[in-house]
Amino acid sequence: MLNTLTRWRYRFWPDHLLGEILSKRWTETAVPVIVLLMVGFGLSRTIPNFLSPSSLADTARQAAEIGFIGLGEALVVIVGGIDLSVGSMFALTDFCALYTLDVLNWPVVAVAAATIACGAVLGAINGFLVGYLGLRAFITTLITLIIYRSAFDLLIQRYSNQIASAFPDFPTWNFIGGGDVVGVPSIAVVYLAVAIFGHIFLTRLRPGWHITAIGGSRRSAYNSGIAVRRTIALCYVASGALTAVGALFFAARLGTVGGDIGVGLEVIVLTATVLGGITLGGGRGSVTRSAVGTLIVLLITNGLTTMNARGGFTRMALATILLVAAMIDIRWQKNRTRIISKVYVSPTYHDLPPPPTTEIGKGGPFEQNDRLRDVELIGLGRIEAPEDVILDRHDNLYAGSRHGDVIRFFAPDYTRMEIFAHIGGQPLGMAFDRKDNLFICIGGMGLYRIDPDGKVEKATDETNRSWLSVNDDSRLRLADDLDITDNGLIFFSEATIRYEMDEWPVDGLEARGNGRIICYDTNTGKTHTAVRGLKFPNGICVASDGQSILFAETFGCSIKRYWFEGPNKGRIEVVMDNLPGYPDNINLASDGNYWLALVGMRSPSLDLAWRMPAFRNRMAKRLPVDEWLFPNINTGCVVKFNEKGEILDSYWDLHGLNHPMITSMREHRGHLYLGGIANNRIGRYKLEGADPNFVQYEKRWGRLP
Amino acid sequence: MIGAIQGLANRLLGRGDAAIAVPTFDGALKANQKLEEAETLLECAAPEDLATDGRTLLLADGPRLLCLDRKTATEVRSFEGPISAISLLADGKLAVALSGREVRVYSEPTAAKPVAVFATGLGAVNALAPGAGGTLVATDGSAARGVDQWAWDLLERGQSGRVLVLNPADGSTKLLAGGLSFAFGSQTAGDEILVSESWKHRLIAVRPGGAIRVVLPHLPIYPSRLSPASDGGYWLTGFVARTLLVEFILREPAYRKRMMAEIDPEYWIVPRLRSGQSFKEPLQGAHIKTMGVVKPWAPPRSYGLVIRLDSRGAPLYSLHSRADGTNHGVVAAVEHRGDLVMIAKGSGRILRLPIASLDKELGA
Repeated sequence: MLNTLTRWRYRFWPDHLLGEILSKRWTETAVPVIVLLMVGFGLSRTIPNFLSPSSLADTARQAAEIGFIGLGEALVVIVGGIDLSVGSMFALTDFCALYTLDVLNWPVVAVAAATIACGAVLGAINGFLVGYLGLRAFITTLITLIIYRSAFDLLIQRYSNQIASAFPDFPTWNFIGGGDVVGVPSIAVVYLAVAIFGHIFLTRLRPGWHITAIGGSRRSAYNSGIAVRRTIALCYVASGALTAVGALFFAARLGTVGGDIGVGLEVIVLTATVLGGITLGGGRGSVTRSAVGTLIVLLITNGLTTMNARGGFTRMALATILLVAAMIDIRWQKNRTRIISKVYVSPTYHDLPPPPTTEIGKGGPFEQNDRLRDVELIGLGRIEAPEDVILDRHDNLYAGSRHGDVIRFFAPDYTRMEIFAHIGGQPLGMAFDRKDNLFICIGGMGLYRIDPDGKVEKATDETNRSWLSVNDDSRLRLADDLDITDNGLIFFSEATIRYEMDEWPVDGLEARGNGRIICYDTNTGKTHTAVRGLKFPNGICVASDGQSILFAETFGCSIKRYWFEGPNKGRIEVVMDNLPGYPDNINLASDGNYWLALVGMRSPSLDLAWRMPAFRNRMAKRLPVDEWLFPNINTGCVVKFNEKGEILDSYWDLHGLNHPMITSMREHRGHLYLGGIANNRIGRYKLEGADPNFVQYEKRWGRLP
Repeated sequence: MIGAIQGLANRLLGRGDAAIAVPTFDGALKANQKLEEAETLLECAAPEDLATDGRTLLLADGPRLLCLDRKTATEVRSFEGPISAISLLADGKLAVALSGREVRVYSEPTAAKPVAVFATGLGAVNALAPGAGGTLVATDGSAARGVDQWAWDLLERGQSGRVLVLNPADGSTKLLAGGLSFAFGSQTAGDEILVSESWKHRLIAVRPGGAIRVVLPHLPIYPSRLSPASDGGYWLTGFVARTLLVEFILREPAYRKRMMAEIDPEYWIVPRLRSGQSFKEPLQGAHIKTMGVVKPWAPPRSYGLVIRLDSRGAPLYSLHSRADGTNHGVVAAVEHRGDLVMIAKGSGRILRLPIASLDKELGA
C-alpha cells in the first residue's frame, strides 16, 4: 500500500525538474516577472479602471520615461558601477530641451539632438572620472548629482519664467509628448525599439559581452584585452544619453521646469534595477529585467498615489523594497550553486523483485562458479580502464584507456602494444564497420570513427533537442555502447542525460530513466533519438533478424529488444528482467547466442533503498559520495543468453582477485577477452568447444561461413 | 514544543542530532597495518575471549576452554554452551560466562564443580574482570538481545547495558550502573571501574556509588574489552568501527525497520566482525576496486583496532587492520609474557605482537 503510494507519487511528480529549472539562467528573470504579475493582479483588483486603455497608455508613458533611465542605469550597474546622478541629469536635460525649444526656438529635430548630446556630455563627465581617472562610481556620481542639481537650480532661476510663458505648438513636439501609433503611445514604441536593440546588444554583440565581462571580473576582462576604461566610460555616456531621451519625452509631455523635477529619481531607478534582478556589483543583468523592474516600481508608486499615500510614504516604501530586493539578490547569488546542487539530485522509486539465486548449491542458471579465476592477463599495469575490448581480423586487440587513448596490443602474444589513436575522452563501446573503420563511443564526447590507419574523426556529438526537456539534451553526455546494422545505422546508448560520466553513481542513486538510445545514420550523417526514458542503457547488439537490437538497462537490471524497422517497428519487448546483477555490454557469441557482462551484482540493502527515494535523497545530501550506498561493481560475471531470454551459461570469479570487474567481453577465435572499466588489465579466457575461427565482425559482415 | 520543532528542523536540514560526523583516525589513532603484520598463533572456529594470570593464557573457543602456549593449544575443559567471556581472578579462580546468561566461578580452571553460579537476570554478559575484594565485574551488554545479537541492539539503539558486581563469596549481585548503551568490557582502575560504552563510542569510569565520568569520548570505533597493561595502562579493543553510512542509518528509522524486517542480517548495513564474504553485502563508494586495488581508507564494514591507553585512559598509540586487511573484529587483547596476544574474531585468528618492539616503534 505504502509502496504503491510512493510509486505513484514519484511517477507523476517530476522532482528532477526543480533542479533543472533552477539551473537555468532565466529563472532569475522569472522571479521579478512573477512579482510583476502579482502586483499587477493585486492593483487591478483594488483600483477601478486600472486596466482601461487610457489608464494603461498613461502608465506606459510614465513607465517608458523611467524605463529609458532604467536602461542606462542597467548598463552602468552591469558594467560594475552605479549612477546616482540620473535625477539631476534628467532635470538638466529637461531644461536643455525646453530652453532650446522655447527660448532659442530651435526646430524640434535640433532640440532632440541637442538634448541627447547634452545628456551624453553630462554622462561623459561621469565616465571620464570613473572610467579613466578610476574614481569610485558611488562618490563621483554623488558629487555630480549635487553639481548638476545646483547648475539646474541656477539655470531655472534665470529662465523659468521665459519657459513657462512659452506655449510651443508644433505637431512633431506634440506627437513626442502625447502622440500614439495605432493606440500605442509614441514613447512606448521608441522604448520598445531601444529595448529590443539593447537586448541584442547585450546578448549578441561584442561590446555587450565586453560590458558583462567587465562587470563579472574587471581584472580578467582587462587581462583578456578588453578596453576596460573606455567601455566603462561609454556606459556612463550611454546612461546620460538615455536619461536625456527620457527627459525629452517628459519635456514634451509636461513642458515644465519645476524645481523638484528628477528629485529622488535615482532611488526609483535603482529600486527598479535591483528589483528586476540586476545585481549591484555587476556582471549580471538584462534588458528584460530592467523593464520588468521599472514596471513593478511604477505600478507600486502609482498604486500608492491612487490610494492617497503621501510622497514620503511612497519613497519610504520604495527604499524598503530596494533593501529587501538587494538582500535577496545577494543571498541568492551567494547560495545559488549550493541550492541547485542540493535539489538537483532527485531519486525516484525503483522496485525490483527479489533476484534469482546465485548461491552455490542452490542451482539455477546463475549458480556461482570459479571458472574465471585463472584468466590470463594481458597488459597488466600497462593499460588503465579498458571498458570494452575488440579484436580485428588480424587478431590484434584494441582497448580504450582512461588517458583518452585507444591502445592496440599485437597478436599473437599481446605483449607488444602501441597507442593506436588518441582521442582525449574515455573510450567505451567499440564496433567495426564493413570497411574496418572502428566506431567508438567516447564518454563525454560522442561517437567517433577511427579508420584503419588510426585517423580519428568525429561521427556525431549531438542529436535532436526534445521539446519537453528542460535540460538541453541535444549534446551527448555519456555515449556508452554501440552496434552497426546491415544498412549502416549505428545504434548507441547514452546512459544518462543528467550527469557526466564520472557522476554515474549519482544516476544510479536516482534510478530514473535518464538514458536513451540514439541512432546515427552513416549514410546521411544524421542523428536522432530512437528511445527515451531508459534506466542507464548500456550494451547494444543487433539481433539475429537484422531488424532489432538487444539492449541492456544497467540499473533496470533487464535486457530489452527494440525493433527499428520491419513489421514490428518501434516496438520494445522485454527479453529478460530481474537479473541478479547490473547488465553491461552485449556481444555476439560464435554459436549465435549472446554474451552479456554483469558488471556488478545486486545487494538487498540497495534494492531496498531503491524502493525508498526519500531515504536516498537524504543520503545524497548528508553523506559524501565515497560513503554512499553503491551498486556493487566489484564482483560480476559473464553469462550467455539467447533471444528467448534464457540464460545458457555463466562464468564467475568468486573472489575477483585476478580480474575484479567485467564490463565487457568479446569472443574471438575460441577465447573470451574481458574488459573492465576500473581495471588495469585485460582478461583472456579459453572457451571449451567454441568455434576457433570466430571473429565477431567478420561473421557479422558475412565474411565468415 | 520548541524542542520538538527544533528536532524536526534538525532532521529536515541535517543539523544538530541529525548531523553525521565520525572522528578521523588521527593522533594516537593514526592508522598503520600492525595487525596485518602480526604473527598468527592459531586459527580456530569461534575464538571469543582471552584471560591470563601472568602464567597461563586461557582462550575461549566456542564451548571449549583452551590453554595456549605459544602456538600449541590444549583443551582444558569444555562446556555445554558457547563461552561468552572468561576471566582469571587473583586467587587462581576461573570465571566463565556461558551464552551470556550464566556466570560460573570455579576454584581453579579444572575444578569439576563451580563455587558460585549467577544465573538470574543476566542477558548478555560479554566480559568479566576481577573486581575489588575478590569480586567479579561483569558487563551485561543488553537486556533485550543476546550476546550474538549485538547488531540488533545497535540498530534498535539499545540502552539496557549494565555493569554488575558479582560476589562469589556470598553469591550476591550488585547493579553498579545501568541504562548504558551497550556495555562491553570493563577493568578496575583504583576505586573506579573503566567500562566501554560501545554505542556511545566512549570509555567511562564508574565510581563505587554508580556515578559516571567520561574518560575517553568521541572514539571513531565502538570500544570493547579492556585489559591491563604491565606499566599501569590499558589495552582497549575496538571490535567494529564507525562509518558515516551506519551513523546515517541510525538516524533513519523507516529504513532501519524495513531492513531488519526484510533483509538477511548478514547483508544489513551495520558494522560486522568481518566483511567481503559476499557481493550481497552493502558496498560504499570508496569500496570500488580501482586498478585492482581496494583502498585501505575505504569506510570499514569491519575493522581491526587495539588502542594502548596510559594509566589515565589517554591513548598512546594504536594497532590497526584497515579496510583492505583481514584481521578484523579484534575483541580481546591481553599482555602475556611480553607479548600482546589478540583475538581477531573476524578472521578467526589468535595474533601475537611483541610489546617491546611496539613501544619502541610507535612510542609509548
